[in-house]
Amino acid sequence: MIELHLIILAIVVSFGFVFSYLAMKERDLLKALALSSVQSTFFALGFYILAAPDIVLAYLAIAVGAYTALVILAINKTERYEVGE
Amino acid sequence: MKKDVFVALSFLIAFLFVSYAVTVRDVLGIAENPLRPLGEFYLSHAFAHEGLTSHSPEVVTAIVWNYRGFDTLFETFVFFLAIMGALSVLRLTREQGMEVRALEAREPHRHMDTITRTTTKLVVVMIVSISASIALHGHLTPGGGFQAGSAMAVATLLLFAAFSKFTLERQGLTLRHTISAYALGLAIILATVVAPVLLYGGKVLEIDLLPGETGLFNLDVGEYTAVTFGFLTVFLALGVPEWIFKLVLRREMK
Repeated sequence: MIELHLIILAIVVSFGFVFSYLAMKERDLLKALALSSVQSTFFALGFYILAAPDIVLAYLAIAVGAYTALVILAINKTERYEVGE
Repeated sequence: MKKDVFVALSFLIAFLFVSYAVTVRDVLGIAENPLRPLGEFYLSHAFAHEGLTSHSPEVVTAIVWNYRGFDTLFETFVFFLAIMGALSVLRLTREQGMEVRALEAREPHRHMDTITRTTTKLVVVMIVSISASIALHGHLTPGGGFQAGSAMAVATLLLFAAFSKFTLERQGLTLRHTISAYALGLAIILATVVAPVLLYGGKVLEIDLLPGETGLFNLDVGEYTAVTFGFLTVFLALGVPEWIFKLVLRREMK
Protein backbone atom coordinates (compact mmCIF):
# COMPACT_ATOMS: atom_id res chain seq x y z
CA MET A 1 0.00 0.00 0.00
CA ILE A 2 2.60 2.54 1.05
CA GLU A 3 5.02 3.09 -1.77
CA LEU A 4 8.58 4.33 -1.61
CA HIS A 5 7.97 7.54 -3.54
CA LEU A 6 5.26 8.58 -1.06
CA ILE A 7 7.73 8.16 1.82
CA ILE A 8 10.32 10.22 -0.03
CA LEU A 9 7.63 12.82 -0.69
CA ALA A 10 6.77 12.97 3.02
CA ILE A 11 10.42 13.40 3.99
CA VAL A 12 11.05 16.09 1.37
CA VAL A 13 7.93 18.06 2.27
CA SER A 14 8.68 17.89 6.01
CA PHE A 15 12.17 19.28 5.31
CA GLY A 16 10.39 22.05 3.39
CA PHE A 17 8.19 22.75 6.43
CA VAL A 18 11.22 22.91 8.72
CA PHE A 19 12.98 25.39 6.46
CA SER A 20 9.90 27.57 6.07
CA TYR A 21 9.57 27.69 9.88
CA LEU A 22 13.25 28.67 10.18
CA ALA A 23 12.74 31.35 7.53
CA MET A 24 9.83 32.80 9.51
CA LYS A 25 11.85 32.90 12.72
CA GLU A 26 14.96 34.44 11.17
CA ARG A 27 15.59 38.14 11.93
CA ASP A 28 18.25 38.65 9.28
CA LEU A 29 16.19 39.08 6.12
CA LEU A 30 18.92 37.91 3.75
CA LYS A 31 19.37 34.69 5.73
CA ALA A 32 15.60 34.25 5.79
CA LEU A 33 15.59 34.60 2.02
CA ALA A 34 18.27 31.91 1.66
CA LEU A 35 16.29 29.58 3.95
CA SER A 36 13.15 30.26 1.93
CA SER A 37 14.87 29.31 -1.31
CA VAL A 38 16.07 26.05 0.29
CA GLN A 39 12.44 25.40 1.22
CA SER A 40 11.39 26.10 -2.39
CA THR A 41 13.97 23.61 -3.63
CA PHE A 42 12.48 20.92 -1.39
CA PHE A 43 8.96 21.75 -2.57
CA ALA A 44 10.18 21.60 -6.18
CA LEU A 45 11.51 18.09 -5.48
CA GLY A 46 8.08 17.29 -4.07
CA PHE A 47 6.40 18.50 -7.26
CA TYR A 48 8.79 16.36 -9.29
CA ILE A 49 7.84 13.28 -7.25
CA LEU A 50 4.18 14.15 -7.83
CA ALA A 51 4.96 13.98 -11.61
CA ALA A 52 4.37 17.66 -12.38
CA PRO A 53 7.46 18.67 -14.41
CA ASP A 54 5.76 21.79 -15.79
CA ILE A 55 5.30 23.14 -12.28
CA VAL A 56 8.90 22.23 -11.34
CA LEU A 57 10.32 24.26 -14.23
CA ALA A 58 8.29 27.35 -13.34
CA TYR A 59 8.59 26.95 -9.57
CA LEU A 60 12.38 26.58 -9.48
CA ALA A 61 12.99 29.56 -11.75
CA ILE A 62 10.51 31.79 -9.93
CA ALA A 63 11.00 30.78 -6.31
CA VAL A 64 14.78 30.39 -6.31
CA GLY A 65 15.70 32.92 -8.98
CA ALA A 66 13.27 35.72 -9.67
CA TYR A 67 11.57 35.93 -6.26
CA THR A 68 14.91 35.93 -4.42
CA ALA A 69 16.28 38.65 -6.68
CA LEU A 70 13.18 40.82 -6.28
CA VAL A 71 13.28 40.52 -2.49
CA ILE A 72 17.03 41.27 -2.45
CA LEU A 73 16.31 44.42 -4.45
CA ALA A 74 13.52 45.30 -2.01
CA ILE A 75 15.78 44.68 1.02
CA ASN A 76 18.39 46.84 -0.66
CA LYS A 77 15.89 49.69 -0.49
CA THR A 78 15.05 49.19 3.20
CA GLU A 79 17.04 47.56 6.00
CA ARG A 80 18.59 44.18 6.39
CA TYR A 81 17.54 43.38 9.97
CA GLU A 82 14.01 42.98 11.18
CA VAL A 83 13.55 44.92 14.44
CA GLY A 84 10.63 45.49 16.77
CA GLU A 85 8.63 43.96 19.60
CA MET B 1 14.28 27.96 21.98
CA LYS B 2 12.14 25.38 23.79
CA LYS B 3 9.03 26.88 22.20
CA ASP B 4 10.59 26.43 18.75
CA VAL B 5 11.12 22.73 19.34
CA PHE B 6 7.50 22.34 20.46
CA VAL B 7 6.20 24.20 17.41
CA ALA B 8 8.37 22.18 15.03
CA LEU B 9 7.41 18.87 16.65
CA SER B 10 3.69 19.66 16.61
CA PHE B 11 3.92 20.62 12.93
CA LEU B 12 5.69 17.36 12.11
CA ILE B 13 3.22 15.26 14.10
CA ALA B 14 0.25 16.97 12.44
CA PHE B 15 1.83 16.45 9.03
CA LEU B 16 2.54 12.75 9.70
CA PHE B 17 -1.02 12.29 10.98
CA VAL B 18 -2.53 13.88 7.87
CA SER B 19 -0.32 11.92 5.48
CA TYR B 20 -1.11 8.66 7.33
CA ALA B 21 -4.82 9.41 7.13
CA VAL B 22 -4.71 10.30 3.44
CA THR B 23 -2.43 7.54 2.17
CA VAL B 24 -3.05 4.52 4.43
CA ARG B 25 -6.59 5.06 5.72
CA ASP B 26 -7.71 6.83 2.52
CA VAL B 27 -10.08 9.29 4.22
CA LEU B 28 -10.35 11.45 1.08
CA GLY B 29 -11.00 8.49 -1.20
CA ILE B 30 -8.24 9.39 -3.63
CA ALA B 31 -6.00 6.34 -3.22
CA GLU B 32 -7.64 4.61 -6.19
CA ASN B 33 -6.87 7.70 -8.29
CA PRO B 34 -9.64 7.27 -10.85
CA LEU B 35 -9.48 9.23 -14.09
CA ARG B 36 -12.41 11.64 -14.28
CA PRO B 37 -14.32 12.13 -17.55
CA LEU B 38 -12.84 15.61 -18.11
CA GLY B 39 -9.28 14.28 -17.73
CA GLU B 40 -10.09 11.42 -20.05
CA PHE B 41 -11.38 13.90 -22.64
CA TYR B 42 -8.15 15.93 -22.51
CA LEU B 43 -5.91 12.87 -22.68
CA SER B 44 -7.72 11.36 -25.63
CA HIS B 45 -8.25 14.60 -27.56
CA ALA B 46 -5.04 16.61 -27.03
CA PHE B 47 -3.09 14.62 -29.60
CA ALA B 48 -5.57 13.23 -32.09
CA HIS B 49 -6.19 13.71 -35.78
CA GLU B 50 -9.85 14.63 -35.60
CA GLY B 51 -12.29 16.29 -33.29
CA LEU B 52 -11.43 19.02 -30.80
CA THR B 53 -7.70 18.41 -30.93
CA SER B 54 -4.84 20.81 -30.37
CA HIS B 55 -2.23 18.61 -32.10
CA SER B 56 0.01 18.59 -29.04
CA PRO B 57 1.32 15.53 -27.19
CA GLU B 58 1.99 17.87 -24.24
CA VAL B 59 -1.41 17.86 -22.60
CA VAL B 60 -0.51 20.53 -20.03
CA THR B 61 0.37 23.09 -22.69
CA ALA B 62 -2.71 22.09 -24.66
CA ILE B 63 -4.90 22.77 -21.62
CA VAL B 64 -3.07 25.96 -20.66
CA TRP B 65 -3.21 27.62 -24.07
CA ASN B 66 -6.07 25.88 -25.84
CA TYR B 67 -8.73 24.29 -23.70
CA ARG B 68 -8.27 26.92 -20.95
CA GLY B 69 -6.81 29.61 -23.21
CA PHE B 70 -8.81 32.47 -21.75
CA ASP B 71 -7.39 31.87 -18.27
CA THR B 72 -3.85 32.15 -19.58
CA LEU B 73 -4.66 35.16 -21.75
CA PHE B 74 -6.03 37.02 -18.74
CA GLU B 75 -3.08 35.90 -16.60
CA THR B 76 -0.86 37.54 -19.20
CA PHE B 77 -2.92 40.71 -18.84
CA VAL B 78 -2.58 40.56 -15.04
CA PHE B 79 1.20 40.29 -15.44
CA PHE B 80 1.03 43.28 -17.80
CA LEU B 81 -0.91 45.30 -15.23
CA ALA B 82 1.61 44.38 -12.49
CA ILE B 83 4.51 45.56 -14.64
CA MET B 84 2.71 48.75 -15.63
CA GLY B 85 2.00 49.37 -11.95
CA ALA B 86 5.66 48.93 -11.03
CA LEU B 87 6.70 51.22 -13.87
CA SER B 88 4.22 53.94 -12.96
CA VAL B 89 5.36 53.87 -9.32
CA LEU B 90 9.03 54.02 -10.32
CA ARG B 91 8.55 56.37 -13.28
CA LEU B 92 11.16 58.94 -14.31
CA THR B 93 10.95 61.63 -16.96
CA ARG B 94 13.47 61.69 -19.78
CA GLU B 95 15.66 64.31 -18.07
CA GLN B 96 15.50 62.44 -14.79
CA GLY B 97 16.46 59.22 -16.56
CA MET B 98 19.50 60.91 -18.08
CA GLU B 99 20.40 62.32 -14.67
CA VAL B 100 20.14 58.87 -13.10
CA ARG B 101 22.37 57.43 -15.79
CA ALA B 102 24.97 60.15 -15.26
CA LEU B 103 24.96 59.55 -11.50
CA GLU B 104 25.22 55.76 -11.98
CA ALA B 105 28.17 56.21 -14.33
CA ARG B 106 29.97 58.15 -11.61
CA GLU B 107 29.41 55.39 -9.04
CA PRO B 108 32.44 53.13 -8.54
CA HIS B 109 31.01 50.00 -10.15
CA ARG B 110 32.35 46.75 -8.85
CA HIS B 111 32.37 43.46 -10.66
CA MET B 112 33.32 40.03 -9.44
CA ASP B 113 36.66 38.31 -10.04
CA THR B 114 37.61 36.36 -13.16
CA ILE B 115 36.57 32.93 -11.86
CA THR B 116 33.02 34.07 -11.11
CA ARG B 117 32.69 35.97 -14.36
CA THR B 118 33.91 33.07 -16.53
CA THR B 119 31.69 30.56 -14.72
CA THR B 120 28.73 32.89 -15.05
CA LYS B 121 29.31 33.22 -18.78
CA LEU B 122 29.31 29.42 -19.19
CA VAL B 123 26.25 28.93 -16.98
CA VAL B 124 24.36 31.72 -18.72
CA VAL B 125 24.94 30.10 -22.13
CA MET B 126 23.56 26.83 -20.73
CA ILE B 127 20.51 28.45 -19.12
CA VAL B 128 19.70 30.41 -22.27
CA SER B 129 19.87 27.30 -24.47
CA ILE B 130 17.76 25.30 -22.00
CA SER B 131 15.17 28.07 -21.78
CA ALA B 132 15.03 28.27 -25.58
CA SER B 133 14.46 24.52 -25.76
CA ILE B 134 11.76 24.71 -23.06
CA ALA B 135 9.96 27.45 -25.00
CA LEU B 136 10.36 26.16 -28.56
CA HIS B 137 9.54 22.58 -27.55
CA GLY B 138 6.76 23.74 -25.26
CA HIS B 139 4.11 21.98 -27.32
CA LEU B 140 6.05 18.67 -27.35
CA THR B 141 7.79 18.31 -23.99
CA PRO B 142 7.04 19.61 -20.48
CA GLY B 143 7.44 23.34 -20.28
CA GLY B 144 6.12 26.34 -22.12
CA GLY B 145 6.43 30.05 -22.50
CA PHE B 146 6.12 31.08 -18.88
CA GLN B 147 8.62 28.54 -17.54
CA ALA B 148 11.15 29.35 -20.24
CA GLY B 149 10.70 33.08 -19.77
CA SER B 150 11.34 32.90 -16.05
CA ALA B 151 14.45 30.73 -16.62
CA MET B 152 15.71 33.30 -19.12
CA ALA B 153 15.08 36.11 -16.61
CA VAL B 154 17.21 34.19 -14.08
CA ALA B 155 20.06 33.97 -16.62
CA THR B 156 20.01 37.74 -17.02
CA LEU B 157 19.92 38.15 -13.24
CA LEU B 158 23.14 36.15 -13.01
CA LEU B 159 24.68 38.60 -15.49
CA PHE B 160 23.43 41.47 -13.31
CA ALA B 161 25.12 39.96 -10.27
CA ALA B 162 28.42 38.98 -11.88
CA PHE B 163 28.91 42.09 -13.98
CA SER B 164 26.81 45.11 -13.12
CA LYS B 165 23.60 46.76 -14.19
CA PHE B 166 25.62 49.63 -15.61
CA THR B 167 27.74 47.34 -17.85
CA LEU B 168 24.62 45.66 -19.24
CA GLU B 169 22.93 49.00 -19.85
CA ARG B 170 25.97 50.20 -21.73
CA GLN B 171 25.72 47.06 -23.89
CA GLY B 172 22.21 48.10 -24.91
CA LEU B 173 19.94 46.43 -22.37
CA THR B 174 18.13 49.63 -21.43
CA LEU B 175 14.63 50.10 -20.09
CA ARG B 176 13.40 51.37 -23.47
CA HIS B 177 14.63 48.26 -25.25
CA THR B 178 13.17 45.82 -22.71
CA ILE B 179 9.79 47.55 -22.81
CA SER B 180 9.82 47.41 -26.63
CA ALA B 181 10.66 43.69 -26.58
CA TYR B 182 7.91 43.13 -23.99
CA ALA B 183 5.44 44.87 -26.28
CA LEU B 184 6.63 42.67 -29.14
CA GLY B 185 5.89 39.53 -27.09
CA LEU B 186 2.41 40.79 -26.22
CA ALA B 187 1.86 41.66 -29.89
CA ILE B 188 2.74 38.09 -30.94
CA ILE B 189 0.23 36.73 -28.42
CA LEU B 190 -2.52 39.13 -29.47
CA ALA B 191 -1.86 38.52 -33.16
CA THR B 192 -2.08 34.76 -32.66
CA VAL B 193 -5.33 35.17 -30.77
CA VAL B 194 -6.99 37.73 -33.05
CA ALA B 195 -5.60 37.01 -36.53
CA PRO B 196 -7.37 33.65 -37.12
CA VAL B 197 -10.68 35.21 -36.12
CA LEU B 198 -10.22 37.88 -38.80
CA LEU B 199 -8.88 35.40 -41.36
CA TYR B 200 -11.15 32.39 -40.97
CA GLY B 201 -13.95 33.68 -38.80
CA GLY B 202 -14.93 31.69 -35.74
CA LYS B 203 -14.48 32.53 -32.09
CA VAL B 204 -11.54 33.93 -30.14
CA LEU B 205 -9.20 31.12 -28.99
CA GLU B 206 -11.38 28.47 -30.59
CA ILE B 207 -9.79 25.01 -30.59
CA ASP B 208 -8.07 23.91 -33.80
CA LEU B 209 -8.48 27.22 -35.62
CA LEU B 210 -4.88 27.48 -36.83
CA PRO B 211 -3.35 24.68 -38.91
CA GLY B 212 -1.45 22.11 -36.87
CA GLU B 213 0.36 23.20 -33.76
CA THR B 214 1.13 26.71 -35.08
CA GLY B 215 -1.15 28.30 -32.52
CA LEU B 216 0.49 26.68 -29.50
CA PHE B 217 3.99 27.35 -30.85
CA ASN B 218 3.29 31.05 -31.52
CA LEU B 219 1.65 31.56 -28.14
CA ASP B 220 4.60 29.87 -26.40
CA VAL B 221 7.11 32.06 -28.23
CA GLY B 222 5.09 35.19 -27.49
CA GLU B 223 4.78 34.32 -23.82
CA TYR B 224 8.51 33.52 -23.69
CA THR B 225 9.41 36.98 -25.00
CA ALA B 226 6.81 38.73 -22.88
CA VAL B 227 7.76 37.05 -19.58
CA THR B 228 11.53 37.40 -20.13
CA PHE B 229 11.41 41.08 -20.91
CA GLY B 230 8.61 41.78 -18.44
CA PHE B 231 10.76 40.50 -15.59
CA LEU B 232 13.79 42.36 -16.96
CA THR B 233 11.81 45.60 -17.08
CA VAL B 234 10.93 45.25 -13.40
CA PHE B 235 14.51 44.38 -12.46
CA LEU B 236 15.91 47.34 -14.38
CA ALA B 237 13.36 49.70 -12.82
CA LEU B 238 14.02 48.39 -9.31
CA GLY B 239 17.79 48.19 -9.80
CA VAL B 240 18.37 51.96 -9.59
CA PRO B 241 20.26 52.57 -6.31
CA GLU B 242 17.98 54.03 -3.67
CA TRP B 243 20.03 57.14 -2.89
CA ILE B 244 20.15 58.16 -6.57
CA PHE B 245 16.40 57.66 -6.87
CA LYS B 246 15.75 59.73 -3.75
CA LEU B 247 18.11 62.48 -4.91
CA VAL B 248 16.33 62.79 -8.25
CA LEU B 249 12.87 62.72 -6.67
CA ARG B 250 13.81 65.36 -4.05
CA ARG B 251 14.96 67.64 -6.82
CA GLU B 252 11.54 67.19 -8.40
CA MET B 253 9.91 68.40 -5.15
CA LYS B 254 11.91 71.64 -5.30
